[in-house]
Amino acid sequence: MNRPTVLSFCGLVLLGTALTCSAADTNTFLLRGATIHTMAGKDIVNGSILVRDGKIAGVGQDLSAPSGVRVIEGKGMQVYPGIIDAGTSIGLSEISGVAVTNDVQEVGKFNPELRASIAVNPESEHIPVTRANGITSVLALPDGPLISGQASLIHLDGWTTDQMEVKRSTVMHLRMPAIGGAGGRGEGRFGARGSFDEQKKTFDKDVADLNNFFEEARRYKQAKAAHSPGFKPDLKLEAMQPVIDGEEPVLITAVRERAIRDAITFGDKQKLKIILCQATEAYKVMDEIKSHNIPVVLGPTLALPLEEDDPYDRPATTPGELYKAGIKFAIASFSNEFSRDLPYQAAAAVAFGLPKEEAMKAITVNAAQILGVANTVGTIEEGKSADFMLVDGDPLLEQTQIKQLFIKGNDVNLDNKHNRLYEKYMNRPK
Amino acid sequence: MKTSFLLPKTLLVLLCAALAGLSAEGPQVFAIRNTRVVRVSGPPIEDGTVVVRDGLIEAVGANVKVPPDAWVIEGKGLTVYPGMIDALSTWGIPGAAPPAAAGGGRRGGGGGPAAPTTPQSVIRGPEDRPSNTSYLKAADQIVAADPSIETGRNAGFTTAATFPNSNIFAGQGVIFDLAGERSGSMIVSPSAGTYIAMRSAGGFGGSFPGSLMGIMAYVHQIYLDADHYKLAKQIYSQHPQGLQRPAYDRTLEGVLESPRVLLPAARAVEVDRMIRFARELNRSAVLYGGDEAWRAVDLLKQSGTPILVSLKWPERSRDADPAAQDSLHTLEMRDKAPGTPGALAKGGVKFAFYTDGLATQQDINRSVKRALDAGLTQADAVRALTLSPAEIYGVSDRLGSIDKGKIANLVVTEGELFQDKTKVKYVFVDGLKFEPAAPAAPARRNTEATQ
Repeated sequence: MNRPTVLSFCGLVLLGTALTCSAADTNTFLLRGATIHTMAGKDIVNGSILVRDGKIAGVGQDLSAPSGVRVIEGKGMQVYPGIIDAGTSIGLSEISGVAVTNDVQEVGKFNPELRASIAVNPESEHIPVTRANGITSVLALPDGPLISGQASLIHLDGWTTDQMEVKRSTVMHLRMPAIGGAGGRGEGRFGARGSFDEQKKTFDKDVADLNNFFEEARRYKQAKAAHSPGFKPDLKLEAMQPVIDGEEPVLITAVRERAIRDAITFGDKQKLKIILCQATEAYKVMDEIKSHNIPVVLGPTLALPLEEDDPYDRPATTPGELYKAGIKFAIASFSNEFSRDLPYQAAAAVAFGLPKEEAMKAITVNAAQILGVANTVGTIEEGKSADFMLVDGDPLLEQTQIKQLFIKGNDVNLDNKHNRLYEKYMNRPK
Repeated sequence: MKTSFLLPKTLLVLLCAALAGLSAEGPQVFAIRNTRVVRVSGPPIEDGTVVVRDGLIEAVGANVKVPPDAWVIEGKGLTVYPGMIDALSTWGIPGAAPPAAAGGGRRGGGGGPAAPTTPQSVIRGPEDRPSNTSYLKAADQIVAADPSIETGRNAGFTTAATFPNSNIFAGQGVIFDLAGERSGSMIVSPSAGTYIAMRSAGGFGGSFPGSLMGIMAYVHQIYLDADHYKLAKQIYSQHPQGLQRPAYDRTLEGVLESPRVLLPAARAVEVDRMIRFARELNRSAVLYGGDEAWRAVDLLKQSGTPILVSLKWPERSRDADPAAQDSLHTLEMRDKAPGTPGALAKGGVKFAFYTDGLATQQDINRSVKRALDAGLTQADAVRALTLSPAEIYGVSDRLGSIDKGKIANLVVTEGELFQDKTKVKYVFVDGLKFEPAAPAAPARRNTEATQ
């Protein structure tokens, strides 16, 4: 999308100089003269954003730079909030085919005590590649058969995982047991095998185990509150406390209709705050989803339909249908190397009935709201993290160039492996 | 001249009679008179007589005299058909699984012995002869006492073409009659063809061949090797001195011994693929499977390739997820497969039925009935189980129709074949008479009232 030119390279050198001069100044600046798409109300023409210490200190038309504050000219440019990918394994997995680079899954069915952010590799090659398309934060999602751990929303910039964390325990990931998996894609890896009877047995056992586990967490809570003698701290059950209290949402992966219904029933029974994840067949369960007010994280729109006889555009029309039904949804990549294509996944839904504004929301403010981090990211508003991009057009279009990208107010380097390979092979002897 | 010609023949007859007669019990001559005879090789005879002597059909016709030494069967109300032939069977081999999926992967793989592969190294190519037991002969494995033989006979079958069905080159089939005390006396033709399955050699560690294209290349190479081997042996036998001897190769011996090759083709694309492949192999080929052959009738007709059609029509698996919806393509395959035989008959393609694991008369009737409902005529259905398989396997001079001199394999029914109420009264195999036992009544359950 953006390849470094000699000019921008000079810019980087200058920026580098600035960094060494006064470190405190790097995430304090005034961006002015651009059209600001705040995603939290009307667009601001000829607007300015004041950033102080990595946070947005003001947004509006009549801002002026306090003395000594660096000014970035945005004339003729657009500003959008940084894109959020609400489902990836970035930082947890580098090359899926190379076992040592994979840290997505722990052995066992109940691993709520695992925290994704602690395992994130800040040096992942996927990070610069992904943010080059305007994605500023991603949900690092552990995966596994049932409860696979706490997913962490991370910024795609930082030297350490502490610096990268937006919210350490964003959601608890639960993969709903499903008979027959999800037809080869999605749940296929975890799908039950064998005859229907065998699968049903496994399914029933998994559901029973899940319910028991939640009950155990409740008993643990009571024992702890009663200071009962012999109370033994347990990391697993401790990690479940915010979940059973309804503070931490459970991200439930349920691809097919039956699994989605099971997930809703389960959430009701256990009184959980749930988010449906990768709910490809959500369009079949819209009434229940709406009546329960459950948000949905959809997978890619540029994908094959689940069923042989589904219409070719089935995944692309789902976002528009959910929107019309009044269901809050985000679109996520559920990928690593293709997280960078998230804006175009959202864009495809526009061609199949989703209003353009809503497509942008599905990868910014909606994702932030669904993940419970709307006070930090997702829009350009005072008090939020200064995550935004300065672009020459609509970020949903491939030809749009990102001029500058800010994460926590830092002007991040847009160079990445793709650029390096591009330069390398452009200069190959002919 | 005349005596010198007669003498050896008489001797042979006597010799055979002596050999066969050892085990034979009861009379050797039967006459079924005043009966309807469906000869298959010609129009049915409404009121005729069939005379069976010493295992052969001595006479058939409307005006045939009953020999004085014959046991007479009053055939009024009965119909005599040629004994049915299962064109691709596992009957007679104890513990054998039904034939493997015809390429489509619909049915489970066959059991039986796997090719003894050399354990010391990974198989890298065709030179290691992976998954190849082409030298195995079903004829050597037939067990006369195998219960499947009687089951098949009770359903009106008198002959089966049984093939080994493990490995890519499974081995050679046998045409044998479904009665006899020793397997040797049952065999009509010990080498019916080489059974080939398009399945990977299996096992972990990437053994060759692991893909369809690999399997096809492998089979092709084996046939090229076999032709070369044959030539090398010929030259060597003429000039044994001064020439390096060709290495003995049992897998090529097996291939060379075999008069035809059986190739799997369930889907239309497989029919097309295997017809082309047979042309490359330069062998006479018979396809088996046929679920979707209704879509490839012209291809089959043009190439003149016969096809064996499974009587086990595709259906939803019994332990399928009740909520799962089958795709339109799957439903179409299930719906149209029984139309295959009718379409083949109309298109003039030679085809035969095989039972594919079905064994009881009831199951087979039900299956054939579906083909009849889908456009197959009764006469064509009978032919597909009698004369057509005999022709396909080159034994129609002895089997498949009721003609003078042919082997006395007959099925005598009360009512037309394949009808629900039809009873198999007698089955003649090699001239021996069998009366199928009435199917065991379903075990009565004790209800509460009777306890």
